[in-house]
Amino acid sequence: MNKLLLSVLCLLAVFAAAVPCLADTVNGVLAEERVVNLPQDQGKWYVSVVGSATDARYDEIVGWFDSNASLKKLKNQVQFCTVTSDTAIYRERYAPNVKGLPTVRMQKADGTVVYEAAGKNIPMTAAGLNGALAGAVSTAQGIRPILPWRRDMERRCPGPCPTPQPNPQPQPDPEPQPIDDGGPPKIDDQPTEPPLWALALVCIAGVLVGMGGGYGKQLYAKLNPPVK
Amino acid sequence: MSQSGLKRLLLVLVLLVPFAGCETTLVTKPVKKEMPTVNVPQADRQSNWLGSQGQGSCVWATTISLLRWQGRYHTADWIRSNYGGGEWPEDHAAKLDTAGVRYAYVTDGDVRFLELACRTRRGAGITVMGGAHMVALVHLDARWAGILDNNRVEKIIWVPRETLIAEWKASYGWAVSPIYAPAAPLPQ
Repeated sequence: MNKLLLSVLCLLAVFAAAVPCLADTVNGVLAEERVVNLPQDQGKWYVSVVGSATDARYDEIVGWFDSNASLKKLKNQVQFCTVTSDTAIYRERYAPNVKGLPTVRMQKADGTVVYEAAGKNIPMTAAGLNGALAGAVSTAQGIRPILPWRRDMERRCPGPCPTPQPNPQPQPDPEPQPIDDGGPPKIDDQPTEPPLWALALVCIAGVLVGMGGGYGKQLYAKLNPPVK
Repeated sequence: MSQSGLKRLLLVLVLLVPFAGCETTLVTKPVKKEMPTVNVPQADRQSNWLGSQGQGSCVWATTISLLRWQGRYHTADWIRSNYGGGEWPEDHAAKLDTAGVRYAYVTDGDVRFLELACRTRRGAGITVMGGAHMVALVHLDARWAGILDNNRVEKIIWVPRETLIAEWKASYGWAVSPIYAPAAPLPQ
């Protein structure tokens, strides 16, 4: 009897091991763990390089996004779209709204255009384009960009910088004067109107005085009845 | 404050009432949302075709349309020339691996996959009709689902969201999406 029970238990254990495999079967094929997660990149901005496939300038600009380290980094941070003028995507989505070819356009995730340059307005070098795009991003985010001439100061001047010897010597700067830059006006600490609590206090006092006066009148009338 | 001053203030407030709430519309430019989100151009919509075994190629037609939307024209053309006929999830995945296509898929009816595929503007191939057919899901919001059927590519078919999800779940819940940069949104 014990042997029979033992064999039944063994059989159940074998079935238990097999059931999860059967449950994973889809369309008769055992599903494996090969599912790659979809990236959650819905907030990414878009950079489109649009042009003719036969235009050397278009190829050059597309190439910048691989050869220039900064643009390459940018390419990995955005949805990078190369669009040639012989495609349906170009005809339906770009032809009605580009000013010329090639075009470089940067858009926010909702489609807002942050930067766009076409034809000869596209910067002549990869570094120039990177600077223009960086400036546009800063403007869109409300950040004040670092001026281009300050950006590479350290690199250009690795050793001790030359010390200029002006002649005649400049006069010391005058004492700086405060500048009215149109900022918010200064507000006096002293309020011109009485505070609310004082107003409430006056009201309560008024009511009390009124009630007291009324009660006093009644009391006076009680103590001094009118002569009939 | 004098009585006339109070009256003037009251008049100003009364005049301002009709303009309450207008500030945001004046300052912010509204963003026009594209419908469907995955607006595959008419010329890029791949119609179904008969494979060598006499079966339809709905899975491949859907994959090709989505690849074109994501700018992978050469890959789409290669697939059109080399693959066709009916597919099961595992075989389809193996063939995409062979073609070097980046993709994601589910076979468990997880709705989050569909939501993410549409939110990221990539779209997804989804099974319908009890698993006998695949179409492209090109839009999914709180109320509506947009479908691009490779048997009738001229028009997007709109169905209530819950109807579509129920149909998909009753059809093995298989969804597959290529993972490349989707076409940029229309400029705002």
